[in-house]
Amino acid sequence: MSSRESAGFQLRLRYAVLIGVGFVMLYPLLWMIGGAFRPNHEIFNSIGFIPREPTFEGFTKGWRTSTEYTFATYLLNTFAIIVPKVIVTVISSVLVAFGFARFNVPGKRLLFALLIATILLPKSVLLVPQYLMFREFGWLDTFLPLYVPSAFATEGFFVFMIIQFMRTLPAEMEEAAVMDGCNSFQVLTHVVVPVILPAIISVALFQFMWSMNDFLSPLIYLSSVEKYPVALALKLSIDVTEATSWNQILAMSTIALAPSLILFFAAQKYFVEGITVGSVKG
Amino acid sequence: MNIERRLLLAALAACSTALPAMTLAAAHAAPAEVQLRMSWWGGNEVHRAYLASIRRFEAKYPHIKVKGEYTGWVGHLERLTTQIAGGTAPDVMQVNWNWLVLFSRDGRGFYDLNALRDRVDLTQFDADARDVGTVHGRLNALPVTMTARVFYFNATTFAKAGIPVPSSWEDLFAAGPIFRDRLGPDYYPLALNFLDLLALCRSWVVQHTAAPLVDEARRELNATAADTAEMAALYARLVKEHVIAPAPERASYGNVAEQELRPWITGRYAGLYYWTSAIGKLTETLEPGQKIVLAPYLMRPGARDAGLFYRPGMMLAINSKTAHPREAALLLDFLFNDPFAVEAFGLQRGLPVSKVAVATLQARGVQRTLGWDGNEQVARLPHRAGESGYFEHPRVRDGFIDILEAQGFGEISAAESGQRMHADVNRILERVIRPDVPPDRG
Repeated sequence: MSSRESAGFQLRLRYAVLIGVGFVMLYPLLWMIGGAFRPNHEIFNSIGFIPREPTFEGFTKGWRTSTEYTFATYLLNTFAIIVPKVIVTVISSVLVAFGFARFNVPGKRLLFALLIATILLPKSVLLVPQYLMFREFGWLDTFLPLYVPSAFATEGFFVFMIIQFMRTLPAEMEEAAVMDGCNSFQVLTHVVVPVILPAIISVALFQFMWSMNDFLSPLIYLSSVEKYPVALALKLSIDVTEATSWNQILAMSTIALAPSLILFFAAQKYFVEGITVGSVKG
Repeated sequence: MNIERRLLLAALAACSTALPAMTLAAAHAAPAEVQLRMSWWGGNEVHRAYLASIRRFEAKYPHIKVKGEYTGWVGHLERLTTQIAGGTAPDVMQVNWNWLVLFSRDGRGFYDLNALRDRVDLTQFDADARDVGTVHGRLNALPVTMTARVFYFNATTFAKAGIPVPSSWEDLFAAGPIFRDRLGPDYYPLALNFLDLLALCRSWVVQHTAAPLVDEARRELNATAADTAEMAALYARLVKEHVIAPAPERASYGNVAEQELRPWITGRYAGLYYWTSAIGKLTETLEPGQKIVLAPYLMRPGARDAGLFYRPGMMLAINSKTAHPREAALLLDFLFNDPFAVEAFGLQRGLPVSKVAVATLQARGVQRTLGWDGNEQVARLPHRAGESGYFEHPRVRDGFIDILEAQGFGEISAAESGQRMHADVNRILERVIRPDVPPDRG
């Protein structure tokens, strides 16, 4: 009896702590959503997140923006960049990882070291050379420089992650597929891909979120306002000599956050499985 | 070849409007359409004003189309740097004054506006304004606004303390203890972040030396070790006399802009040393019922110069490689001097420099602002010393601020701080200011 009572108490305590910590973690998010419904002058006056005089002004004005275009344009642009980018990233990363994990190519170790080295290379180093290259291609002010490079497995981290996942797979399964007459590509599509699906979903999610937040590359490559993605559009109204309408920015951030959140919750099960793999298995 | 033909067509078209008799003959030679690109950074209001002005400009010159390429402040320099490096910069650019030393060391980085004086009305700009945009005799850019840091105080808080706002340095030092005793230990007469502090220390020492702090020609500070020691001593004294909050206390409110700093919003930090062009945004976030006033500029006894850092708020320049300099010049002139553009911008970015712009605003009865008053005060103060653009060079600025921060957080003494400012910043200046490029280099 008493042990059941104490177990119940422990459970309650555990949940209280979890809810408390969770609340602290989520507070900035709640503050952002609360701030979106506040008039601008109220935002910095209190740290509470419940608006005293709730208003939709931030949403209506923020959606209209101070530019010639509404926020819908920027959201659509974001997806026009992200969707192809995620697709080509997944395809190219899986192919390259499969190559590294299953084939013996002369100089493989060196190539793999080079791949890892690109993870460590700061992106800003490549900025100007890449800009000049895309200028020669005539790709400036188009979406192409933003996703075409991903078609060549340029995200070393993703390749590395998928390789680690593939190492945990028993070779017997693939050998059996070969016995049944599969060629290498069929082994990949029929056997390996279904098994590593959690890793693939993680890659897609990571790429989605990172691209959503990417500020520098669209800033450099896109010059027309009509082609700006959300990350640029949100910063359009922040200047040093003018008081910023934070309520509009918070409102639009809330909207821009929704796709990431929805996608994450939809794929959460696979996502966690994907990033923790290899942490206990060798 | 193509450009020549376009110019010829444009000239023909110009003739046709000037001489109605020729109109028929030249009717089929309508001016070739010209596409200009223009870049700027700004907030919502600036974007709206630019876009409205551009629409009006296109209506006035139907053969010119202008594409606005604008961003917020963050990242704009990075983008422009890449574009200039890649040769894809826009035809007309809004630039910061200190960018001239980045992109146009020899004066050839931007189009020489002197060559376009028939299109841009240079007479609207006084000598001060033309000088700041001139590099090696080439007029690289013209200022939209000029601005300097002056003293603004929260009159409401000073009234609560029972003293008038300071009109001399001694008043300021005396106000600290009164604030502490009458209002409480978390009340201070001035709110300064390290950048503001550096500017204040600069003004203090220039009031003594009456010369720009950075000597571009000799690539060193125009100040002795004793002068920089005075800068460090001023900082130490401001903290000791309770004029500004000690660095750890200031930092506890977060590294935020002043208008988002809680003690400023509530009036507990009751003063600023701030740009006349941007004071507007700082009064916007105040809790209601508080009044900010412009104070007399604080001068040391016997000072011959106010030590103002009087510089352009922002400037407009034309790409040196533009294919359409004459159309770009028309746009520049429109943005500076046309009543429509002048009214669209109003006083958002500070008081315009162009004389006709000021006259337009006065004629339209635009309400005076703290910034406008500040600019008039600046005009009355002795400010011959000027300052080199290298004072705002990121590495020079950071060099100073690193040392002041070390002093503020007690890592080094005031004496050591003064010494290091002299030694370290001189070393930085020598590296940053490269020996002069001969101006007549091809």
